[in-house]
Amino acid sequence: MTTLIETPEYRIEGRDKVTGVASFVGDFQDEGMLEACFLRSPHPHALIRSIDIRAARTMPGVRAVLTGADIRPMRHGRRLQDWPLLAWDRVRLIGDRVAVVAADTLSHARAAVERIRVEYELLPAVLDPADALARDAPVLHPDAGEYHYFGERPEHRHPNIQGHAVHEHGLVDAAFARATRVFQHEFRLARVFQGHLEPHTCIVRTDGTGYHVTTTNKSPFRLRTLMATSLGIAPEMITIDSGYIGGDFGGKGFSIDDYVIAFLARATTRPVRFATPYTDDMQSGNSRHATHIRMRTGVDDANRFIAHESTILYDGGAYAAGKGNANLIPGGGLFTMIGYDIPNVRVDATSVYTNTLPGGHARAPGQPQNSFASESHVDLIARELNIDPFELRRINVISDGGHDTLGRTWKLSTIPAVMDALRREAGLDVARQPGRGRGVSIGARASPSGHGGADLQAKVVVSVTDDSMVEVLTAVSDQGGGAHTVLQRVVADELGIDVARVRIRRGTTSHAPFDLGVGGGRVTPVVGGAAQAGAALLRERLEAMAPGLEVREQLERVAGDLSVVGEFTHEPGLYSTYAYAVEVEVDRETGQVCVTDAVFVADVGTAINPVALHGQLVGGFAFGLGQALFEDLRIEQGVVTTANLDNYKLPSMADVPKLRVVLLPDSVGGGPHGAKSAGELANVSIAAAIANAVHDAVGVRVTSLPITAEKVFDALAGGADS
Amino acid sequence: MSSFDYHEPTSIAEATALLARYGTDAVAMAGGVDLTRKFKSGGRRPGHVIALRRLPGLADVRTDGDGLWLGPLATHAALERSPAVRAHHPALRAAFTSIATIRIRNQGTLGGNLASAEAASDPPPVLMIFDAIVQVARPDGTQRSIGLDAFFVGEHRSVLEPAELIVGIRVPPVAAGTRATYARFNPGSADDYPTVSVAAALRVDAEGRIAVARVAVGAIGDLPVRAHSVETALVGQLPTDATLTEAAALARNGIEAIADRRGSVSYKREMARVWTRRALTTAATPMAAA
Repeated sequence: MTTLIETPEYRIEGRDKVTGVASFVGDFQDEGMLEACFLRSPHPHALIRSIDIRAARTMPGVRAVLTGADIRPMRHGRRLQDWPLLAWDRVRLIGDRVAVVAADTLSHARAAVERIRVEYELLPAVLDPADALARDAPVLHPDAGEYHYFGERPEHRHPNIQGHAVHEHGLVDAAFARATRVFQHEFRLARVFQGHLEPHTCIVRTDGTGYHVTTTNKSPFRLRTLMATSLGIAPEMITIDSGYIGGDFGGKGFSIDDYVIAFLARATTRPVRFATPYTDDMQSGNSRHATHIRMRTGVDDANRFIAHESTILYDGGAYAAGKGNANLIPGGGLFTMIGYDIPNVRVDATSVYTNTLPGGHARAPGQPQNSFASESHVDLIARELNIDPFELRRINVISDGGHDTLGRTWKLSTIPAVMDALRREAGLDVARQPGRGRGVSIGARASPSGHGGADLQAKVVVSVTDDSMVEVLTAVSDQGGGAHTVLQRVVADELGIDVARVRIRRGTTSHAPFDLGVGGGRVTPVVGGAAQAGAALLRERLEAMAPGLEVREQLERVAGDLSVVGEFTHEPGLYSTYAYAVEVEVDRETGQVCVTDAVFVADVGTAINPVALHGQLVGGFAFGLGQALFEDLRIEQGVVTTANLDNYKLPSMADVPKLRVVLLPDSVGGGPHGAKSAGELANVSIAAAIANAVHDAVGVRVTSLPITAEKVFDALAGGADS
Repeated sequence: MSSFDYHEPTSIAEATALLARYGTDAVAMAGGVDLTRKFKSGGRRPGHVIALRRLPGLADVRTDGDGLWLGPLATHAALERSPAVRAHHPALRAAFTSIATIRIRNQGTLGGNLASAEAASDPPPVLMIFDAIVQVARPDGTQRSIGLDAFFVGEHRSVLEPAELIVGIRVPPVAAGTRATYARFNPGSADDYPTVSVAAALRVDAEGRIAVARVAVGAIGDLPVRAHSVETALVGQLPTDATLTEAAALARNGIEAIADRRGSVSYKREMARVWTRRALTTAATPMAAA
């Protein structure tokens, strides 16, 4: 019955965005709205001796000045609430919030901030994660015992550990002992920025009892819970309104300043806006963790991986607040050697505190780090074994009924099929052009990434409106991923009506049913599932109320009179899988790497929005390419020296070579019409494919990201790994 | 954004008078590309912005008996498209086609570019090999000429005094047979500044020996500079691979380099050598001499 694929796709919000009609949080202008500006710490680690705000208070236009003393002991965090809304006794990174001013205009607020005087007592800073665990390392959070943690926080061996997790299955040491050969490699990845062009922004309004928050946060219900905790009021007193979001890439699931702005709104009883200055988002936001990974793998005489061990150190920065997982490790942080079936595995991951910007969620948290290490490691093993890297992968990947490195059983594995398609599509059996190098990488991601609970559940309301339209009410905002167009197409298809008859209404937390929000690839498979279920239920009711008529007539008959709730629970244990083949040219004299060809094969189930899907995959490729080749939030003495888009270059179209995308046909996922997640695939494993291709081209290995020309040049000059 | 007084003088005399009157509290604005960036980055803001957009004739580009005259308010995009620029020497056009992005090229001007004295900018090395001269007006009504190779003195610093205004850039006629090229090494993002940039011009005499050599290197240090040691080593030589390679090696140590996100000192020096040789090779190859 599905003609979905043949139906041309129009992005619901496309016209509004292209014509500038769409309003973002930065566009709203309430009557009497104040603007906020923070005073930030210039030191990576210091005690606050005194704060003098008297001069700032009397500056023109100033309506309120708050310091940590006004808010203590309020801290925020998704799992561990370790980040003070405003620092009161200690600052832990350059850019830490020390005081905030609300004033009639931003200029007034800025001028007042300049008049605040703070006396600091400097402390030694921990800038390298390896130093954080030294016995005599300065302790960043001596008061950690009083921090709130959702759940029960485990004890750690060192006070600078944010989180620690171990996965182990099989008999790892015994397997290493009987391995024919054991290979060991080490990898480092730079900290990188999500690159959303709209900075974190919010407006908070209050009448003294209730709060209304317009924000760029893509998980409004979670923010409501967290804010209720901060303000000490019931969640029902807070309405979170997440409209258009100007780019996300993992960075918009976490609010840092919305809480403080609520305190400012309370203090002034005026609407208050805060738009994070872009450089502050980059200096003191929630970027992807810098990571150091050591890997060891034992291989038997049939070239099968029989033992694997990874030791991973995440630079968590000054606060663990941005991480949502119970173990305070980035989401995919324990999942190394994704896609391989290895019977004996031990993965040990630690995130530590340093006096640098906090690590947070970025597109596929933890995965690009583990993928770069794993897929480089496998390639190196193949070279040392003197067998084709593609063949070594093919021997070791998960097949139907196999197990992954976290010990989970895959009923179905499409990795072999994806690899076979890659071999065919990229012409891997044909010799590459002379002077070029070819690199391959594979990967997988749970579709969606949750493993139970609210992640995998969704609810929408589907109604027939007074004007006989079908309306879908959801809390999910469209942050650019095309969520609303997915919902519209699914519902139209289920009812057999034109997409133009389906409206999507994004509701605030006070109107829409509970939803966890955007993230982890859950919108298309899970929320889409709820929309489909709602539409199916609506069709049944229509048939009961007006039997035998065309749907169109039924809608007219029951106009304004019918509303159903669509609910869906997605089954866990399904995976989107993919593989890259890239070809590069390397300038031996300069080390410059040029990607000349790239093929990406993916199993993403059914395409609901073919155009948007293509955009997600090509966009992911560009996103990963920048991080593979040049993106680097460089930190010197705690200062991010690339904290603007002048110095932190995001790839432009001129940097992105043509990518050929091939979708695996006939695959069935768990979402509507068999759709799977697709937003966090193409960015993940491109870096390893490039490193592998560079090795193939010129015989040297770069084991750290980004793969700059200088690193390749140094490796060529010295023959050493860099 | 804090407030400032905005002036739109309609003559050079009026503009220099305003600059003189407000001294260091004034700044001249051409396309405003560099200025708005400075404003946004939150440094000290001047009280007076002297906008040059109404000054007559300053966007003119023309050829006369003394060569090419480039008005300081000509945008990079206009220069990139100018038949006079192309006719003067095809390599000159490369100075403007390479700059940043189309958005910057449409807004940024040559005068603003030189005044901002950005070491990694594209026009300076190319203009240097063509012996360009900056013509400057002063508040007392006089003018002075400064060779571009003596114009830059440090990071974002030139010899331009606060009340002086660039009123034109003179590019003398290019001797027939001069072959020139601009090489820009940019291994990061395509719209980033280069890690190293090299402009080179060569002219050989009747016997095939190099009569004139010009080499200018940008981006690796605080300011774009002429590579005099390389030039000297080339003059009087036959342009063989060995000669070019040997001369280019002098670029490695003859120029001050600084480490930044685009490379370490040693890498930038090596790249200055490699790209000087490549530029010289291109300039010495008739077929590639466009």
